[in-house]
Amino acid sequence: MLATLTIEGCIGTLTLNRPEARNALSLDLLEELHARVDEVSRRSDVNVIVLTGAGKAFCAGMDLRAVLDAPSLALTLLRSLADLTLKLRALSQVTVARVQGAAIGGGCGLTTVCDFAITHADSKMGFPEVDLGVCPAVVAPWLVRKLGAGRARAVLLRGGLMSGDEALAIGLVTLVTPAPTDLGPATDELVSRLATGGPAALAATKRLLNELDGSLDADIVRKGAELSARVLCTPEAQARLRARLTG
Amino acid sequence: MIGATIERGVATLTLRRAAKRNAMTPELLACLVTSIGQVSSGARAIVLAGEGTVFCAGFDLSLCREHPDGSVMRALLSGLSDVIVALRDQPRPVVMAAHGAAIAGGCALLGAADFVITNDDAKIGYPVARLGVSPAVSAPYLRLLVGDGAARERLLDSRLISGREAAGIGLATQSLASAADVGPAAQATARALANTPVEAISATRAWLHEVEGLGDAPWRALRASLALTGEEEERRMLPKAWTTRPTDSPN
Repeated sequence: MLATLTIEGCIGTLTLNRPEARNALSLDLLEELHARVDEVSRRSDVNVIVLTGAGKAFCAGMDLRAVLDAPSLALTLLRSLADLTLKLRALSQVTVARVQGAAIGGGCGLTTVCDFAITHADSKMGFPEVDLGVCPAVVAPWLVRKLGAGRARAVLLRGGLMSGDEALAIGLVTLVTPAPTDLGPATDELVSRLATGGPAALAATKRLLNELDGSLDADIVRKGAELSARVLCTPEAQARLRARLTG
Repeated sequence: MIGATIERGVATLTLRRAAKRNAMTPELLACLVTSIGQVSSGARAIVLAGEGTVFCAGFDLSLCREHPDGSVMRALLSGLSDVIVALRDQPRPVVMAAHGAAIAGGCALLGAADFVITNDDAKIGYPVARLGVSPAVSAPYLRLLVGDGAARERLLDSRLISGREAAGIGLATQSLASAADVGPAAQATARALANTPVEAISATRAWLHEVEGLGDAPWRALRASLALTGEEEERRMLPKAWTTRPTDSPN
């Protein structure tokens, strides 16, 4: 299974399970994530969900290898990511991304839609899309909501990656632990605290926040997928990707 | 009034009225709009800087005093709005080197930037309500940068904040220890942007504008500022600009 769901008490753990590819988001992995998220959305006994990745890295980003051979796949892949972000955001449960190692591009986008994100000081996070000639249009609406437009602008236009400490400074993550080994205990502590909240109160609060910040506007995210796919198919992006992925 | 150079893909536009702390006149603003149009197609990134000790001290109020009917104030507000719109609408990323001071209209300019570099001791803010002038024209952009709460504080309170505080609330991207380092840091940021794939940057920037969804807010904001110009309060309070100074002490 490329994505697994385990449930202990009122806490669900959703795991990206493709460690040999640093959990890069292939179409298959995305489809399994959709299925697991649908599954957990129906579990009224679960009120906190941890999103994590198996192995050394949370997620290396979109798996764009397939797109090099079949550019038409770009739109399918990005639409799937866009719909997954909408689905994660709409969950009535509180979501916590536990980021070990790296969360890059679309992977960092998944942490952005979660209510909380927690990582360690020297993890690598960010959106290097523009460096590759790609436009991070699906994550842009989420990042603007999370960081505010000014900081989102600087992060997305500058490209590159940042450390966990830097991610904390701009508000991309909620909490940073000194060492990767502290990440598990710190997440457990946060999650058990969140789990003490009344499920109906948490769900109502989350629904209100989603309404207030426009999170339920699916059109802008889906339009972002179309724009991102279009830019991904430009000669410049294709040439840079080919150099990066085959070099 | 405006210096314009293009080097290695980076266009640098410089406010050149150092003797007046780069205070804006209607002519300077019109000249700036023209320069933006001229450089944006030939460059891959734009730096806006100010010559001398400060980035920009705001409107040249001595001109307004000579025209109590508000005609110059109206021209300044409209010209400022035109500059901000021109910078946002052109496709290249914009870096501002806001050293020393960015006050009132000078602070409003920061709303048009993708990156703002300043220094820790710089003085930044909108001390204009005390002159009977509404900073409404800045509001749409300031809300985007710092959120509603901080935007209210900054627009309604005439206190100037430091560059370090500005970076803390998101009004500046980066605050450096020394004012002398601001220009070089802005150039370095712009050079890095100029080396990034140009179509990806333009598309991302245009998309961010769409996501921000300002709609007609800039136009309504300008109208709100214009509504007060030449009115009794402004005519009474504006002359006090020469007898009182904005406070920059911690509140």
